[in-house]
Amino acid sequence: MVRFEHKRAELVIWLGDLKLGWSIEPRYWRNPLLGMALLAMLPLAFSGRPDFLTLITTANAFACIAMPLAWQMTGTGRLNFGPQLFVGIGGYTAALISVHWGWGPWATLPMAVLVGLFFAALFSPLTTLAKGLYFSLITLVLPLIFLELTYYFTGIFKGETGLFGIAPLVNLGRIKTNYIVSAYMSLVLLMVFLFVVFRIMQSRYGLYAAAINDDEEIAEVMGLNINVWKVICFTITSVMIAVTGWFMAHYFGTFAGVTFLPLPFMLKILLVVMIGGRGGIYGAIYGAYFVVILEKLLTVIGPTSHFLFPLILLILLFVLPEGIYGMIRRHRYREYYPTIRVRRR
Amino acid sequence: MLLELKNVSKSFGGLKAVADVSLSVEKGEIVGLIGPNGAGKTTLMNLVCGVYRPSEGQVLFDGLDVTGLRPHRICRAGISRTFQIPRPFPDLTALLNVAVAVLCGKPRPRMGFGDALLDASHCLEFVGLFGKRNILARDLTLFELRALELARALATTPKLIMIDEVMAGLNPGESSRAVRLIRKIIEEYHVTVVWIEHVMKIIMEATDRAVVLHYGEVIGSGRPAEVANDPKVIEAYLGEKIAQG
Repeated sequence: MVRFEHKRAELVIWLGDLKLGWSIEPRYWRNPLLGMALLAMLPLAFSGRPDFLTLITTANAFACIAMPLAWQMTGTGRLNFGPQLFVGIGGYTAALISVHWGWGPWATLPMAVLVGLFFAALFSPLTTLAKGLYFSLITLVLPLIFLELTYYFTGIFKGETGLFGIAPLVNLGRIKTNYIVSAYMSLVLLMVFLFVVFRIMQSRYGLYAAAINDDEEIAEVMGLNINVWKVICFTITSVMIAVTGWFMAHYFGTFAGVTFLPLPFMLKILLVVMIGGRGGIYGAIYGAYFVVILEKLLTVIGPTSHFLFPLILLILLFVLPEGIYGMIRRHRYREYYPTIRVRRR
Repeated sequence: MLLELKNVSKSFGGLKAVADVSLSVEKGEIVGLIGPNGAGKTTLMNLVCGVYRPSEGQVLFDGLDVTGLRPHRICRAGISRTFQIPRPFPDLTALLNVAVAVLCGKPRPRMGFGDALLDASHCLEFVGLFGKRNILARDLTLFELRALELARALATTPKLIMIDEVMAGLNPGESSRAVRLIRKIIEEYHVTVVWIEHVMKIIMEATDRAVVLHYGEVIGSGRPAEVANDPKVIEAYLGEKIAQG
């Protein structure tokens, strides 16, 4: 005897004495698992369109930069204007090793992590030495210095043209299959990053990050060793961004500093973070897809899109200060909703 | 002897904010630190808590030299403080505000996040804020913020709490509630208190000993009633003419 019963926020199915309940309370529709299932269906839905698959992969890669960056901005209390530096470091490491020594993607990954770790550890004291505004300025300049270096040592980095002939991420014979598998690999990377960042932000270390973002002096008076936590946070997130750089280098098969290091790319990443919802972790995914799709739509109108795209995004920043995700998301106070801004101190 | 300051001085450029202050606080004592505006009371507190480094002198706490240590080390040693203008973590709920202090204060191994939330709940209940645990700190009223600061200070399991002008900006009803709360803390947690206050009446009632600062120097110390009648203290507060009659 099957019987359906609709309660206020629950659909109950009785199979004899067996009760099966399915919660239909609206917020469960925003369950991350459902969102992930939707994202997982996208590459299949567009399996015939390589350009769309590239779009999906790019959006996932953007989210993979934006999520660690959101954590970094919270955990160091500073606005990093140069996340693309580590995209460049990870990408160039993978590209140089792959081109010169012929290593495959899985062999270059540990090297990209190691080199990323080295430079992240090198630059991490900046989070304790430089105050808010100066940190932003220094991080803004660092990728541009790296870009100059790629021009200066053009014999190594091939500044203008970039390195090409990097071992592809997957090679299964058919180009179409490669595109779909790459899209799924980007999704797996996204899910791993989402899982790591989300679990950390939910744990006590997320609370430390929130305390540092809110008021680091008070956090220190409360007994938190802020310098250590800021350095750790910066290092881990930078390595994660370097891994994204590794992914992009192997995915595109070419890597040029001129694509990833200048300001327009940084602008996109920052807007993914801000439009996505002021440093929210899930918001970064929404923001990444939004920015990528918007950019694609605007290519229809031709060269005007080059200034129209940032313009639209800047207007959105003023109109939607809490981001697109902020509109969907109501304030649930148990959840930390960071304020991200450049601090004087 | 819990806290001992030996000839502590602090200069900001040409200004000597704290000059050659020697002070000692016994275990279990409630010491009131009074003085006119700009006397160096809060600077002295910042020197003890490690926010500033003393230019000269030595700060000893519980037999440990804490001079110039970083604030988190001093907090873990057992000195906790509140602020004159409450400084909560504005985007965190009241419960999480206290949980930060529980997790970061005195090192307690095997303290999980859940345990910390439970401990924080106890502290919030003690100061009467349990009902507001899920409210963001920026939405709390001034009195509630002061209570939250006390809860946070308690949550680090301190031996010494330094209280900076709890009464500022509170109405008489709230003030008496705040004083009752601090008395309850002293009774139940057996902490030593250094209490900075402008309101002389409260210092007279609540403290064992009062220390008067003026232009960064100690000009009087003793029982509150004696200190209040000391001509030097009256002169510092009200001016020379009134002191002479």
